[in-house]
Amino acid sequence: MQKQSTGYLFILPALMVLGMLIAYPVAYTGLLSVTDNAGNFVGLENFRRVLAARATPIAFWNTLWWVLGSIIFQVLFGVMAAILLNQNFRGRAIVRSVTLVPWVVPGIVAATTWAWMLHTEFGIINYMLTAPGLIDKPIGWLTNGNTVMPVMIAINIWKMFPFVAIMVLAGLQSIPNDLYEAARIDGASFWEEVWYVMLPQVRSVIVAITLLLVIWALNHITIIYAITRGGPANKTLITPIQIFRTAFDGMQFGQAAALSVMFFGVAIVIVFIYIRTLASNPEEAR
Amino acid sequence: MAPLTINDVRKSYGALEVLHGVNIDITDGEFVVLVGPSGCGKSTLLRMLAGLEDISAGEVSIGGRVVNALQPKERDIAMVFQSYALYPHMTVKQNMGFSLKLARAPKQDVRDRVLDVAKTLNLEDYLQRYPRQLSGGQRQRVAMGRAMVRNPEVFLFDEPLSNLDAKLRVKMRSEIKQNHHRLKTTTVYVTHDQVEAMTMADKIVVMNAGRVEQVGSPLELYDRPANIFVAGFIGSPAMNLIAGRIVDGHFLGSDGTCMAVPAPAARLEGQEVKLGIRPEHLVIDPQGHPAEVLTVEPTGSETLVLMQLAGHEIVGVFRERITLAPGKPLSLSLMPDHIHLFDTQTGLRIPLSPEN
Repeated sequence: MQKQSTGYLFILPALMVLGMLIAYPVAYTGLLSVTDNAGNFVGLENFRRVLAARATPIAFWNTLWWVLGSIIFQVLFGVMAAILLNQNFRGRAIVRSVTLVPWVVPGIVAATTWAWMLHTEFGIINYMLTAPGLIDKPIGWLTNGNTVMPVMIAINIWKMFPFVAIMVLAGLQSIPNDLYEAARIDGASFWEEVWYVMLPQVRSVIVAITLLLVIWALNHITIIYAITRGGPANKTLITPIQIFRTAFDGMQFGQAAALSVMFFGVAIVIVFIYIRTLASNPEEAR
Repeated sequence: MAPLTINDVRKSYGALEVLHGVNIDITDGEFVVLVGPSGCGKSTLLRMLAGLEDISAGEVSIGGRVVNALQPKERDIAMVFQSYALYPHMTVKQNMGFSLKLARAPKQDVRDRVLDVAKTLNLEDYLQRYPRQLSGGQRQRVAMGRAMVRNPEVFLFDEPLSNLDAKLRVKMRSEIKQNHHRLKTTTVYVTHDQVEAMTMADKIVVMNAGRVEQVGSPLELYDRPANIFVAGFIGSPAMNLIAGRIVDGHFLGSDGTCMAVPAPAARLEGQEVKLGIRPEHLVIDPQGHPAEVLTVEPTGSETLVLMQLAGHEIVGVFRERITLAPGKPLSLSLMPDHIHLFDTQTGLRIPLSPEN
């Protein structure tokens, strides 16, 4: 027992730092969610108000689309890129490095660049589409309510798929060459090799990365806030941005905290369900 | 089952040629062992048969069909890897049935065939297990089962026993041999272990530095090695080689020891030769040549003695229980019928009588 208490003494400084950095903000958010701006206790009034706001359900559905759209294509393109980069071809090292670029570029820089490229009148994308006559008139990518969310998702996919690719590539490279050769002798085509050898072997990597991507997409602010701030007409308003704007544009810290608390709860449930259903595979228990 | 012909096969990586024209004829149902030191090209050759490596020049045909340009799956071969290369995420059953599944065989057929093979290999109780839940010997058997399920024309084995412990290796050796007796499938087996080669092969191909040194039955190679390399490689402990030359119809060792050799050696008068004698063909004989005992290694059934004779360290194996001690003198003679002479220049064996 003596030993154990000495142990606690040693980790006390670290615990205090962690406590201040993690526990305090969480607790303080909880406290904020039940007080008004003057610090008076108001019970669940903040929750009632924020749930009654018209933007809240919109933000909820937007967040759902944003997360689903981002994850599916980030994983899909990431895995495809990894398989491609795992093949032997001339200039592979260069292609591997170039693939990483979107992930390395700071989010705010990428967002600003894309905003310019997507500009209705001066953007290169509309220029490239109108010049050869692919479309008659410029598309308002960021002002049209039907295109703006898909465009945001596309930028997010572009930004994050290299990360997936590199992680999956590392997984692919740990597969012994013998397995591919055995599969070839067993008569597997390239796609059968992908399906029966590569993907099962990197399954755990993909599961772990998807979880990270879900968390990151749920908490995302940079790209959308830098380009549209949630507009036009709340078409790209996702919950984290709603929280941010409620707090710092609307100065409703109590309501923002209340929304955070609920969002935190939903996120925890999603992550929990994900881990239970996908990440634990009894067959592969080691 | 099919014959397999390897005709002047070469392999180069850029300007570097690692196989220099290999010719081997393997008849239907034969068990052929490719043996040689590491880096001799035996595994490369096997991988070329499998279709995992390109054939730079020459021709490989299986069952009379040239397979150079065919994919592994079109060659009707099955291969057992040194690492077993079992798919870790599949059960034993799935591993064994994978090739049939890829070939779109009906599910019932796959199940029957896998069960059939599993029975012959005593694997029925393990069909639902994953490879990591099996012992080394069981994995080895699954790897063989995966090959057998396909009923291929040719089995290829790439050092399949080298990851097993010594005892299990002997057991699996005889299992592979028994399977071959039952299935009679043409088999090419690569190993660096000459004991494996001797015990399993119908025909041994000794390779060295990208060339075939000799092809023959195990005992042919043992009794009549074509050159110094084969003489030294086949047999354990290795054949003793003593340098010298033929003078007056006798072998004169470099240290001056004079030994009697069979009469036909007289025609080699003056030639530099190496005299080869296997450890079991040395006899303790009071009238023999003087030697000095260096170490004594009794194994129970026989005694290995390292000795100094004619300026060379040589090994003798004696079946009788003899009491010897290091440092003690000993008299040895050589069984005349078992003396080999090799040309020092070319390394080739010099036949001393018409029948050998």
